[in-house]
Formats: sequence, C-alpha cells, structure tokens
Amino acid sequence: MMDPSNINNFEDQWRKALQGASETPPPSVWEGIEARLDKEQEKVVPMWWQSPKVWYAAASIVALLLVGGGLWLSGIETGDKPQVAVSTKPAGVSESESSEAAKKAASPEENLNTERLATASEPPTSLTKPGKQRSADPKTGIARAGGGNAVGKRENAFAKTKNPETEQQGVAVAARVQKPVAGNGSVNEVINTFATPVENTQPVEISVAKVAGNSYAARLADQSQTISAQLLASLPYSDLDVYVQKRHVFFRPQIEIEEPLKEKKPKEYYAGLGLMPASFNPDVQLKEAPMAFSAQSVSQRRATTGSSEARASYAVQTQGGVRLSKHWSVETGISYLRGNSAYEGGGYVLNAYSNLSSNVLENALAGLTTSANSPAADKAAGFNNGALYIDVAKKVSNNYQYLQLPVQAGFTLNPDKKFSYSVLGGMMANFFLVNELESASGEIIRTTASDDIYRGMNWAATTGLRLNYKLSSNWAANLTGSYQKAVSSGFKSNQSLDAHPYLYGVSWSVRYSF
Amino acid sequence: MTFNEQELVKGCKQRNRIAQKQLYDVFGGKLFAICLRYTKNRADAEDVLQDAFIKIYENIDSFRADSPLEYWLRSIVVNTALNHLRQQKYLKELDDIDVHHNGLSDREFTLGNFQMQQLMEMIRELPPGCQTIFNLYAIEGYQHNEIAQMLGISEGTSKSQYSRARTLLQQKLNKEKRFDDGSVQHKQF
Repeated sequence: MMDPSNINNFEDQWRKALQGASETPPPSVWEGIEARLDKEQEKVVPMWWQSPKVWYAAASIVALLLVGGGLWLSGIETGDKPQVAVSTKPAGVSESESSEAAKKAASPEENLNTERLATASEPPTSLTKPGKQRSADPKTGIARAGGGNAVGKRENAFAKTKNPETEQQGVAVAARVQKPVAGNGSVNEVINTFATPVENTQPVEISVAKVAGNSYAARLADQSQTISAQLLASLPYSDLDVYVQKRHVFFRPQIEIEEPLKEKKPKEYYAGLGLMPASFNPDVQLKEAPMAFSAQSVSQRRATTGSSEARASYAVQTQGGVRLSKHWSVETGISYLRGNSAYEGGGYVLNAYSNLSSNVLENALAGLTTSANSPAADKAAGFNNGALYIDVAKKVSNNYQYLQLPVQAGFTLNPDKKFSYSVLGGMMANFFLVNELESASGEIIRTTASDDIYRGMNWAATTGLRLNYKLSSNWAANLTGSYQKAVSSGFKSNQSLDAHPYLYGVSWSVRYSF
Repeated sequence: MTFNEQELVKGCKQRNRIAQKQLYDVFGGKLFAICLRYTKNRADAEDVLQDAFIKIYENIDSFRADSPLEYWLRSIVVNTALNHLRQQKYLKELDDIDVHHNGLSDREFTLGNFQMQQLMEMIRELPPGCQTIFNLYAIEGYQHNEIAQMLGISEGTSKSQYSRARTLLQQKLNKEKRFDDGSVQHKQF
C-alpha cells in the first residue's frame, strides 16, 4: 500500500490547495435563497405583516414622502415668486378675465389645462404689463404657481431641454406638468391665456420663465425663451426617483425590532433560599469572677479562664437582591441562625446546705439580671456562705438563636458567564431570640430577649466569597463561604461578661433571577 | 453597513435580511467551492449551496459563539452535500475495493504547479464514493472511523475507497505532468 511517511505530505498538499478555495456562486443562488427565505418568513413570522400598525406606518411614510416630495419640487426658494409657463402658438399676450377660471386652450394641452384647478392669489393682470400685451390668443396659456407650485419648476426643466417642436412634445410636457399637481393637493394654479412674442413658428411651444417679482415677470415675458431656459438651468429634474424607494419602507420595521433587543440591560432582581452549616462561637469572656466565685479564692483563677468552643450550627437563609450594574449588586434577607457552642470553664460552686450548684457562667448571668423572674436569678444567691468549689473541667452547652438581617454589597467577577464569583461585604443586624445555657445541675437555663441580659440587637460585620453557577437563564446555584464577627458585645452590660460571637459558614443556596 | 462576525450572527438570529445577505457574501465563495468539490456538476453544487444556506439561516440560533463560525458553516455545507449525494444514491453501493499500489512515487509531492480549478476538476472526475471519501478524509480532515459512521459504511471500505481515490488522483497528476513543460518535470523530481 502507501508509504506512510508520504501520506501526510500528499494530504497536506491537497488540503493546502483546496481548503481555502473560493469560487463566486452565480447570482441566481442568492435569488433562490431569498425567495425561499421570503416564503419561510411569510409562514413563520407573519405577525408584523399582518399588523395594521405597520401598514399605517408605511402608509404615513409614503404620504410623508409624497408631501415632502411635492414641497421639495415646489422649490422653497421661489416662495411667492411667480413662475410662468407659457404655451403658445402664435405670439401674443392675453388678458385674463377671471382669477378663478380654468380656460380652455385649443392647443393639444387644452384638455390637461382644463383639468387644473385655477385659484389665483393675485390678479393675473399683475403678471404682465399692459403695454406688452398683444392680441389675446385663446390657444395659449400661462400656468402660474400661487404658493408653492411644482408645476413651474417642472416645466422649467423642460424648457431647458429645448422647445418642443411638435405638438406631441408639447403634450408630453403638459402631461408631466400635470403629474405633480395631482400628487400635491396644495398646489394652486392659475391658468391665464395670454400671448408672448415668439420667433418660433412651431404650432405648439412651451417656454418657462422664472421671475423674481410680478413686474419682473412681465419683463421676462418679452425675453426670448433661451434666456428663460438659462435662468432655470440649475434646477434638477432627474431626482424624481428619490421618493419612490420602497425598500426603505420594507426594512424599517426590522431595524426597529433590532434596537430593543440590543438594549436588554434591565435591573435584575433575584431571590434565593439557602442552608448554611456553620461553626458558631459566642466567644463569651468572663471579665471578672462573679461574687460566689471570687469568694472562693482557689477557684478564681481556674474558673475565670474558661473559653467558648464552637459546635455544629446552622442557618436557614432567605435573600433578595438587585443587580445594580454589570458587576455590582446589593442584597439583603432574613436568616434564622441556630448557633450551638460549649463553654468550658472549670468547676462549679456547691452550696453545702442547700445542695444548690452553679457554674461560673450561670452565676455570672445571674449577677447580670435585673429581673426577679429570670430563670438565672435564683442562682445569684446562696453561694456566699458555706459554698464549696468543685474543681472539675466541665463543658456546658451554650446555645443561641438569632434572627439575622444582613445588608451586603457584592462585586461579581465575570458576570453573565456560566461560572461567576462574587466578593461580598456588609453589615448584619443580629436580633437575639434565645440563649440556652446548661447549668451545673444539668438543667437548661433559657434566657430570652425580654430578660434584659442580652442585647436585643447587635451588629456584626460580614464578608464572604460566593461561587455562582448558572443552571438556566433564571436559576442559579450558589456556594457562599461567609464569615461574621460581632462588632458589639452581645450582653447589655459588659461589666463582668463579654461576648463577641463569630461564625464561619458555607451556605448552599439556589437563586431565581427575574 | 458592514458587520463583524458577531454582529453578523446576531443579525442573522434576528432574521435581518441585510445581515443574511452579508453572511452569504462573506462565506458564499468558500462554501460554494466545497459544494463544487462534493458534486458532479455546477447545477448540483448550486442546489447544495442553496439548501445549505437555508439550513444555516434556520439553525443559526443553535450556533454557539465558542466555536469558529466558518467551521460551523463548513460542517453544515458538508452535511448538506452528503444528504444530497445520498438522495442521488451516489453513496448507495460503496464496496471494499482491492487496491493494488501502482508504484507511483509521491516523494517530494507538490501540487504547487497546478491550478486550483484543475485540482477541483480532478476530484470531481473521481467515482462518487472515492470523491466523497477523499474530500472528507484529505481535505476536511475526518478520520476513517468518523467517515464510516457518517456514511454508514465500514472503516475498511472508507480506507480502500480513499486508497483508490489517491491512486486515481496520482495517475491524473502524472498524466497532466506529461503535458506540461520540462520545468515542471524538473521541479517534480
């Protein structure tokens, strides 16, 4: 078979020669594609074609173009200046009998002329000087614009193209003249019959004069047609097609559809639900030994050097947030924190007579309370005389429940990707609910907010790092590592006891964006 | 107006006709060359190109920006061409062929002296099965097992058909060379 060492060479050569090959397909291919796409779109997206709004829009655009075209043709610069179009057979100037009359002309354009509406803003006599007028010839006519007249301009262009020599040409001109008038209802025309001196002996002749004023018009009427044509030489005619661009009308709606899609950057809101296993440490510190313990000189050192130890805790969290910009977001929420811990602080004191016992924490708590109803209150007394200090290292459970209200700002790295990371920071209001402390005798001392031992609310600073994984366009899964540290003591009075709880946790949550 | 590739795709996703036309203008030539390679005549190539572009516009939503656009377009065109060949039953009877190497040497192999049109013509003159498999293996770079899967044939068939294509092409190249002037001969060996 083949020599393997050459295989690559062979294929590489062919690949090199043909992979980048290009050949222009014939235009019929695109035409076919376009025709099929049109068919598809009719089937698939008929909505905007069916929408009357689009047709109204198209109709109004067409109307605008027609009116605009008419205005443009009327030539703004001519303003009130009259434009004179003369069609004449023999030379001569006519007087107009009526300012609101359409006159018949015997020339081939007579039919067209009669169709025009004749409304004059000025008496036609001002157009011409009487002296210049000659015998009237009913076969000649002057078309004059009142306000903005497209006719004059159009005729001008024709005058420039040389005077027509045949009747047919004359008709053609008249017919063209008629067109813009039909398109623009605002154009008023006065048709006067009068004669101008012409050298030309052709049966029908059209000359056009553009004049600055009425008197000027009269003067101009005397001049040869060549001059009239020169005056109008700069006026364009060939731009007629400009306002018949149907494609503009067809493509406009598509462009309009494009824009709202581009600006798809609304504020994004999200809501989440999560569970956070955590390690909670109330960090309770005994500043000075309570009375019962300080009395026991032996116990003082040992008893007051106790420490808190974190135990498995958890928080149930709800959160709601808003994405302010591409990277920044703000969020808040409500969480329930169950913070379990243990306190290890030496032994306990035992009343030899009553067999009452008290560990250092409960004794200190009792010293803080002002309420007689407090469950800790009965521990305050009875250890001053005849109390024994039992020196054992004993751990007692010390559990807390808080309601947490965080306010955090987040900065997200590579947002809009499948994986994104957020750095969080903010404050958290911890509302104290319950503390359950295990007493020396094993019973649970339950302290609530109403006992006035713990502060109802204390502040904590919080920071965290969140991993965000987009499950779909709306759903995401979050893994958030967070650290919270109280900035104020948990106790109302911190004379003998102090607590600055802190927490490490990893929260698992799902989030819905809308 | 002109679009960059990303805008072009976006425009096509919005069924914007201007963007669709521009996509065609930009890639139509290259894709047409592929169609020509896989078919036997221009009319068929034009049909394939037309079908391929309709598929492209219809499926542009499934295009992911993480792969190159041209690669995606090429794969659609190749698939369309294969479908076309299947319809034409060109790929129906592809058999394992016993290929004897004819001893033609391809050392120092170069195609530099041939026009692209000439090479295209040579490929199109191959028997249909050979033509397809040569295109898929040598130009598109598919492996024989992939080709076997695509065409529903055995890997051995793919290999033997390719071998045959290679031999036939080599013969054509040598034949062409004989009519060339001496300089080509000199260059070749």
